[in-house]
Amino acid sequence: MSFPVRRRTIAAFLGPAVFALVIVGIAPLLFAVWKSLHYFNLTKLAQQRFVGLDNYIFVLTDPVFWQAMGRTALLFAVAVPVQIALGLMIALVLHRPGLTFWKTLTRLSLVLPMATTYAVVGLLAQVMLNQKYGVVNQMLGWIGIDAINFIGDPTNAFIAVILWDIWQWTPFVALVLLAGLSTVPPEIEEAAQLETKSHWTVLRHVQLPFLIPSLVAVLILRTADTLKLFDMPFTMTRGGPGSATEFIAVLIERVGNRQFDIGLASAQSIIMLAITIALARAYIRFFYREVR
Amino acid sequence: MKFKTEVSAIALAATASLGLAGQATAWSLEEAAKPYAGTELEVLFLDRPGYNAAIKMLPEFEAATGIKVNYTTVPYENALGEQVRDFVAGGDLDIALIDLVWMGNFAENGWVVPSETFTKNPALADPDLDMADFFPLILDAFGSWNGVNYGLPFDNYSGLLFYNKCMLEAAGFDKPPATWQEVMDVYGPALTKDGKYAYALQSKRNETQSADSFARFLWPFGGSFLNAEFRSNLMSAESQAGLQFRQDLMKFMPEGIVAYDHAETVNAFAQGDVAMITEWSAFYSTVVSPETSKVADCVAIAPEPTGPAGRKPALGGFSLAVASQADEAEQAAGWLFIQWVTSKANAGKYLEMGGVPGRQSAYADPALAETYKFIPALVESWKEGVPEFRPRFAEWPAITEIVQEWGTKMMLGEVSIEEGSRVIGEKMEAVLAEAGYYDGKKPLAQ
Amino acid sequence: MAAPIQRRNLAGEAILLTLICLFCIFPFYWMVTTSLKTQVVALESPPVWWFTPTLANYWEVLFEDKVGVALINSIIVAVCTTSLAVILGTPAAYALARFEFRGKTDLWFWFITNRFVSPVVLAFPVFLISRELGLRDTHLALILMYLTFTLPIVIWICTDQFRSIPRELDEAAMLEGASQFRIFRSICLPLAMPGVAVSSILAFIFSWNELLFAYILAPKNAKTAPAMAVTFMEGYDVPYGKIMATSTLIVIPVLIFALLASKHLVRGLTMGAVK
Repeated sequence: MSFPVRRRTIAAFLGPAVFALVIVGIAPLLFAVWKSLHYFNLTKLAQQRFVGLDNYIFVLTDPVFWQAMGRTALLFAVAVPVQIALGLMIALVLHRPGLTFWKTLTRLSLVLPMATTYAVVGLLAQVMLNQKYGVVNQMLGWIGIDAINFIGDPTNAFIAVILWDIWQWTPFVALVLLAGLSTVPPEIEEAAQLETKSHWTVLRHVQLPFLIPSLVAVLILRTADTLKLFDMPFTMTRGGPGSATEFIAVLIERVGNRQFDIGLASAQSIIMLAITIALARAYIRFFYREVR
Repeated sequence: MKFKTEVSAIALAATASLGLAGQATAWSLEEAAKPYAGTELEVLFLDRPGYNAAIKMLPEFEAATGIKVNYTTVPYENALGEQVRDFVAGGDLDIALIDLVWMGNFAENGWVVPSETFTKNPALADPDLDMADFFPLILDAFGSWNGVNYGLPFDNYSGLLFYNKCMLEAAGFDKPPATWQEVMDVYGPALTKDGKYAYALQSKRNETQSADSFARFLWPFGGSFLNAEFRSNLMSAESQAGLQFRQDLMKFMPEGIVAYDHAETVNAFAQGDVAMITEWSAFYSTVVSPETSKVADCVAIAPEPTGPAGRKPALGGFSLAVASQADEAEQAAGWLFIQWVTSKANAGKYLEMGGVPGRQSAYADPALAETYKFIPALVESWKEGVPEFRPRFAEWPAITEIVQEWGTKMMLGEVSIEEGSRVIGEKMEAVLAEAGYYDGKKPLAQ
Repeated sequence: MAAPIQRRNLAGEAILLTLICLFCIFPFYWMVTTSLKTQVVALESPPVWWFTPTLANYWEVLFEDKVGVALINSIIVAVCTTSLAVILGTPAAYALARFEFRGKTDLWFWFITNRFVSPVVLAFPVFLISRELGLRDTHLALILMYLTFTLPIVIWICTDQFRSIPRELDEAAMLEGASQFRIFRSICLPLAMPGVAVSSILAFIFSWNELLFAYILAPKNAKTAPAMAVTFMEGYDVPYGKIMATSTLIVIPVLIFALLASKHLVRGLTMGAVK
C-alpha cells in the first residue's frame, strides 16, 4: 500500500540530493568530455584547440593504456580468487560455534585492514617490504629465505601489490561471506550436518546457494575498487619499477598530473568510465534486481 | 596594457629619482625593503640541504626587512605539478622555484618576470649584485632562457664522483678512476665482490632516470638527445655506445638498481655497500656526517670520470625567479629575497649551513677546499658542463616521461637498447613536431 | 550436534584464529613501533624489535611539519561533508523508501553508479572548474567533491533503514493531518537514527581516507592529512619514523570509528547488499 503523494513533495525530498550530485558528479563529467575533444595541456594553454576524436583514437590504439588495463585485470584475476578462498576459509571457521571470545576478537581485528587509509597502506608496504630494513624480509630470513627485492624488481613489485591487496581486502571478503553464512537457516544447516560428516558436501549443497549474493557483492565491489586503485601503488611504488605497477588510475594520474595533458587524461578517464559503467550495469542488473 | 606601461614608466621615473637620492646614502636592504614591510611571500621549497640552509638564514632576512617568507616543503616529484597548477590557476605563489629543465616552460608561459625588470630599478637592485660573479654556465643554464635571464642560481648541483677511499685502497687503488673505461675494465671487477658493489647508478623511473642515469651516459660518449636539426640523436653510434655502456656497467651495480632513487644510492654508499657513486654535490653533507654515514672518514670526492668525448658531467640545479602572478609589492619583495639569499655576501654563510652557492667568489679562498672537500671537483665540473645536458625547452616534461618509461625498460632488459632508443626518438620527435619546431614556428632553442 | 563439536580440535582452531588476528594486526604494530624509532634505529639492518622509544617523531611532524594543521583540515572536511551528506541524503532516502514514482529504478541506479566512478575521472575537470570559481585550495571544494561518495552511502543505508520502519506509523500520523515533511522529521528520522549513525561513520571514514582529490585540489591551505603523508616521500632522505608517526596519527581515528561501527561496516561497504 502506498500514499498518494504530490509530485512537488517528491521533488522537495529528492531535489536537493539530486541537484547536489548533478553539480559535483555530472557537471565535471560533461566538462571532462568537452576537454577530451581538445588538445589541452596545462603548460601549453596557448595551443589549446579542438581536435575532435583524436585523443580517443590515440588512447584506443595506445599500447601503454591497454597494458595498464591488462595489468589491472591481472591484479583482479589473481588477487580476488585468493581473497575469496582465504576469506571463505576464515568465514567458515568464524561461523562454527564455540570459542566466542576468540571469535569476537578476530572479527574486530578483521575490521582494521579494510578501514585503513589506503595511502598509509602503501607507505607501510614501503617500510615493511624494504629489502634491507624491512621486517618482512627479516622474517623470511628466519625461515631460511633470502631477502627479496620487493620494490626494485618488476615482477616482485607486482607480487607485492597483490600481497598487500590481499592483506587489506581478505578480511572484507571474510566478513561479507560470514554475513552470507548467517543467512543460512540454522535448522537446514543442522539437518545437513547430521546427515553427512563432509564439510565440503555441506558447503557445496547447503551453504553455497546462500552465499551467492555475497559472492556477487564481493565481485562487484572488488571490480570497482581495483579499477579505482590509486593510493596504494602510488605511495608504494609510484607505478614502478618501470611500469610494472602502473595500474589504470595511476596511469591517468601521471598523464594529467605529470605530462599535464588534461585532454588526453580526460579521454582516458571517459573510456575507463565507460568500461566501469558497462561492468557495473551488468553486475547491478544481475544483483540489485530485488530493488525497485 | 597601455595603462600598465604608463604606470610602470611613472614608477620607473619615480624610482630613478629615488635612486639618485639613494646613491648619496648608499643602498641598503633595510631601506629598499621599507615600502614592503609586512608583505608575505609564498614559495615552494624542497626537503634538501640547500633549502634547509636557506631556512636557517630566513630569520635574519625577515628581521631586516619585515618581509615574511612562507615556504611550503614538497617532494621534488610534486614540485613541478604543484607550481604548474598554481600558475595556471592564478594561485598565490610569488616566487618560482625552477629546475633547469623547467626553465623553457616557465619562461614561454610567461609565469616568471625577467630579472632585468629589477636590476634596472635602482631602488631594488643591490649595487653588489654582480651577476658576472655567478658561474656563467649555471647562470645561463639554471636561470636563463633564449638569452633572457629570469632566475638567480639558488640550489646548485654538479654531478661528482663520491668514492670510498678505504675500499679503493684495500683493492689496491691509490686514486679514483679517471675514465669510464677504467671503471668498466679495472675498478668494476676489482670492487664487486663479497656482496659489495663497485658502483651504484640511481635509475628510478622519475626525473632521476632521465637526468642521473640516461643523460649521464649520453654526453661523455659524444651522444646527445637531439642533433642540430632537433631530430633524435639517440640512434647515433655515440649515443648507442653510451647507452650500451650503461647497460654493461649494470653488472657492477646492486640488483634492482632501477628502483634506486637518490636516497637508496646515497645510503648504499654511506653504509659501505658500494664503493663509488656519481651523485649531486648536495649530498656531500649526508655522506660525511657520522650520523648518517658509516664511512664518513673514507669519503673522497673527484670529478666524474671522462668518456671518449670528455667529462660533460651531470648538471642540475634550481634558480629562484619572481612570479608574474604576484602583485607589485610581492614582486619587489620577492626580488629582494632572491637577491639576498643568492648574494655574494651571503654565499659563505650559505655554504656553512650546508648549501652550495653558485658564486665564483665563494670558492676563491683555497683554505675552504680543506673543509669542503667537494669544492675543487665542483669548480672543475662547472667549467666543463653542457647547459643542454637535458634540453630545457617547454617540451622537456613530456619528453622526460618518455625517457623515464623506455629508459627503465632498457635497463630491465624488456627492450633492446636499439629498440628503446628508436621508440624514444620517435615519440620525442612527435612531441617536438606538435610543438612546431619542424615547421619553423618555434626557434630551435634548448 | 554436541558430538562433532567435541571431536573438533578446539586448540587448532584457537591457533588458527590467533594467526588470523596477528596477520591483521601485525602491520599496525610495526607502524606504531617504527614511529617510535629514531632514524638511526629505523635504519638498522636487520630491523630491531627492542629499543628505547622516543616521541620525537610525533613532536616533529605535529608541530614542525604541520601535520597537526593537516589533521585539523581533515577533520573540518570530513565532518562538514558528512553533515551535508546527511542533511541532503536522508530526505532522499526517505523518498526512495516511501514514495512511488516513475524513473525510481533509474534514479536508484544512478545513485549506485557513483560508487563506481573513479576520483581520477573527476579530479582534473574539477581542478579546472575550481580554478574558475576561486575554490582552489579551499575546504569547500573538498567538502563538495566528497559528496560524490558520501551522499550515495547515506542514501543507500538510510533507504534500507527507512524501509524497516513500519508504514503504519506514517499512516496514523497522516490520518491526524501531519504533513509529509513532519512525518519524516518527527517520526521516521528519529527511528532511523541507527542507520544515520552508521552511514555517518562510514562517510566520515571514506572522506578521511581520500587522497586523490585532496592531492590535486588542496595543495596548501586546505591540505588534508593523507596528502600530507605523501609529501614525505622526497627522494633525498626517507624519514621512516616520521612517515610512520604521521601514518599512525592518520589511521588511529578511522580505526576507532571502524571498531565502533564494526557490526555495520560490512553492510555499509557492500551498500546494503549484505545485511
